Amino acid sequence: MGKYIIQRLLQSIVVLFGLSLLIFFIARVMPGNPARVALGSLATKEQVEKLTKEMHLDKPFPVQYYFWLKSILRGDLGKSWYTRRPVTTDLKAYIPATLELILFSFLISLVIGQVMGVLAGYFRNSWFDGLSRLISYIGVAAPAFVVAIFFLLTFTYILNLTPAVGRLSLGATPPPQLTSFIILDSLLAGRFDITLQALKHIVLPAASLALANIAQEGRITRTSISENLQKDYVTAHIVYGIPTRSTIFKYLLRPSLIPTVSVMGLAFAYQLTNAFLVEVVFMWPGFSRYAVTVMLNKDLNAIVAVVLVIGIAFSIVNIIVDIVVSFLDPRVRLQK
Amino acid sequence: MSRIELLAAALSRKRASFSKGWYKYSRNPLSILGLTILCLIILAAVFAPYITPYPEHAGAFTNFRESSQPPNPTYFFGTDTVGRDVFTRVIFGYRFSLVLAVVVLSLSIPPGVIMGLIAGYFQGTRIEIAIMRITDIFLAVPPLVLALAITVMLSPNLFNQMMAISLMWWPWYSRLVYSITTSLRHEYFVREAELTGASKLHILLREILPNCAAPILTKMSLDAGFVITVGASLSFLGLGVQPPKPGLGTMVADGAKRLPAEWWMAVFPAIAIVMVILAFNLVGDGLRDMFAVEEV
Amino acid sequence: MIPLLEIRDLHVRFKIFEGELKVLNGVDMVIGEGEKVGLVGETGCGKTTTMKSVLHVLPIPPAKISGGEILYRGKDILKMKPGEIRRLRKGEMSAIFQDPLAALNPVFTVGHQLRDVIKYSLITQGRENLSKEEISAQSITVLKETGMPDSERILSNYPIQLSGGMRQRVCISEALSAAAKLLMADEPTTNLDVTIQAQILRQLNELVEKRRISILLISHSLGVVRKVTERVYIMYAGNVVETARTKDLFADPLHPYTKALLKSVPKLTGEGISQGIRGRIPNYLNPPSGCRFHPRCDHAMPMCEGERPAAFIVGDNHTVACFLYKR
Repeated sequence: MGKYIIQRLLQSIVVLFGLSLLIFFIARVMPGNPARVALGSLATKEQVEKLTKEMHLDKPFPVQYYFWLKSILRGDLGKSWYTRRPVTTDLKAYIPATLELILFSFLISLVIGQVMGVLAGYFRNSWFDGLSRLISYIGVAAPAFVVAIFFLLTFTYILNLTPAVGRLSLGATPPPQLTSFIILDSLLAGRFDITLQALKHIVLPAASLALANIAQEGRITRTSISENLQKDYVTAHIVYGIPTRSTIFKYLLRPSLIPTVSVMGLAFAYQLTNAFLVEVVFMWPGFSRYAVTVMLNKDLNAIVAVVLVIGIAFSIVNIIVDIVVSFLDPRVRLQK
Repeated sequence: MSRIELLAAALSRKRASFSKGWYKYSRNPLSILGLTILCLIILAAVFAPYITPYPEHAGAFTNFRESSQPPNPTYFFGTDTVGRDVFTRVIFGYRFSLVLAVVVLSLSIPPGVIMGLIAGYFQGTRIEIAIMRITDIFLAVPPLVLALAITVMLSPNLFNQMMAISLMWWPWYSRLVYSITTSLRHEYFVREAELTGASKLHILLREILPNCAAPILTKMSLDAGFVITVGASLSFLGLGVQPPKPGLGTMVADGAKRLPAEWWMAVFPAIAIVMVILAFNLVGDGLRDMFAVEEV
Repeated sequence: MIPLLEIRDLHVRFKIFEGELKVLNGVDMVIGEGEKVGLVGETGCGKTTTMKSVLHVLPIPPAKISGGEILYRGKDILKMKPGEIRRLRKGEMSAIFQDPLAALNPVFTVGHQLRDVIKYSLITQGRENLSKEEISAQSITVLKETGMPDSERILSNYPIQLSGGMRQRVCISEALSAAAKLLMADEPTTNLDVTIQAQILRQLNELVEKRRISILLISHSLGVVRKVTERVYIMYAGNVVETARTKDLFADPLHPYTKALLKSVPKLTGEGISQGIRGRIPNYLNPPSGCRFHPRCDHAMPMCEGERPAAFIVGDNHTVACFLYKR
């Protein structure tokens, strides 16, 4: 098992390396002088030249890459021209917000998605199944920002249940930043009113993100369960007298979870991208919104850092997924 | 048998398998629904200038007297902030979405398939390793991100958007075809072809590729919906179709600023997006059912 | 004496898009206590469907039992309430399936599954208090009985790690642990190597005799059936066409289909190439009228198309469903 993990880690490093090369290449090859873009059109020629030298833009491509790699490994991701802060500061500020959102949405989608899928798979062709299929179709067809807008419209404006923007309402004092997860921090600090408020704020964005996942997961679980129901070993268990309850929750769930977990890696990727859209609609101060902003402003250092972070996150998730799958499914483990 | 008879036999076989395929497709009412919606949308988009009430509104047109009207008999979906008919713009907006889907898929599928075939066939060689590593790198980044990054580097408009999305779409196809090719690589019919001296090109195109056709077609139609999602999302963020052109995502973005009072400006384009993606998804599901081997 | 199992005129249909598959067309069968009975027929003739009907594990819908009775110890299963049926299954009936790899859950160890079967069968027998160690011990014992070497180590493996023969032995242990009075074995050796087949059959035979269980051995291979059974049913396209004591059947086959079956087994002595049976198994959507074998039968008469032949008695425990033997 350990060998497997190390293998995957090495693989990921190679891939990340390639990714950084790709991004860097694209960034530097694109038209326009980044230094000029950074300084704006009012900059003087000397300023641009000075910055160009600073950014090593005058050196050949491999040299530029080398300098860049060096500073990355030192932990210096450069300065964001947009926020005028080191990129790492920006990241530290915004990543927890998005992480909180994504985790919450994962939680929602896992619980609802699995339950829906299991019930729909077991009670095939019932009205419940029909309803869950309808939700699945819509969830898959509606892009996250559409879902976000509809939720916003329904729950905030029509029903007036949830607030519209941000992580906390205006004027609320955030709890001391231990983990930067407002919900966690406020719980730890005993400020339950803040917790409640934060929860209220996070519900809608998380749900918008979660819908696509629920749809996906529900479908996969449903198919998996109803397929596995046909398998001989289920018939065998019924014949040998193992009660149905045990059959479903113990013996069916595990093999049915396998495709779901496999898909989770991809699902995480979609969460990341959809987070962009949801954060924009709900004005959630997160990493994704930051990413969009820096991209729109052609903030080179930040863009490269952002893409790298996403690549790393993605690789980690994939490795975790692979490990979990090999744990759940001995066939994978034993065939390595 | 004469050549004519052989040809007739082949054609009637084709027709028979086509009608059998259609029969299997039409089993599911949802697939028919999807196909119907899709056809309607395509027809509407193609004949947009002729069937919409105010074709001139699909562009730089202003009529402030009629601006911000809720849906009414004159303007079915209401008007936007500068007085343009939302209904017309939505129909024209479909044009952009459909063109996007067609262009992206046409650009990304052939290279992806070719790469997949080559990588899968020449297993264990450096070619395979090289191609698959490149594929992995592209796949390591979620689609939207890369498209975003690229579009931003160039100026945002539909053309660049299409290029960017195409660039990161092909790896999915190469991976799909790769996995099919590797599994078929050692099947008997391929070995036989090799032994009887068929050229590699023949093997790839005539033996392996047809086996990939069904999954590719299915994925293609599901992807069409997904490409439109990506396109709409990019437009929503301001990186795709630029105003005053009526891109669906752009319209939702503009309309979102007007919530909740003037809801029609965002809601109708949003529904339109869902409709077209839903239609492609249903058709894709139907295709998958059609190609599935039936078991009694 | 009431037979253990009696199937009377069983009709089963499967609903598909194009219509209904009339799979079982009036099956009659009797199995006594402690009897070893075989059921032989081509793939697709309805053997597994019959077994699944008795076990009440047919997928309903699309399947439908459209007629007939299945009497277990005189009581009609088809009229029983689900709870009763479950009790029956747990305590009395058991089955071995064709593909042992499919019959075992791939993500759990075989030991885990076997112990669970033992645990629940003990509960049925009212002996709930066995400890984990005792259940483990029992699992090792029963596995040893099937002739499995090194039972203890095998139990901690996953199905995929075992060979076909070992897997089937695990399935047999599971089936036996479910305290059966009636064991139905569906092609238990078809997926195994020829060399292992003989072993497994022998072990199955011993176990069944030792525990005095009735067994219904389903197979498409006459050779398999010949070794183990006392009586045989020959099935074709959803009907029983002939039944007799095993040695009588092989000595004196009467139904044209049985004769053709026996002839199509190639002789080891190498005389001639085996003749297949001309034609194909019928389409169950529109099966042939009357005797379902008549399109392929060399001795077909006009009346064969008209009505289905009843089972005519031609000897001691020997009946044939063919108008050639009409009395």
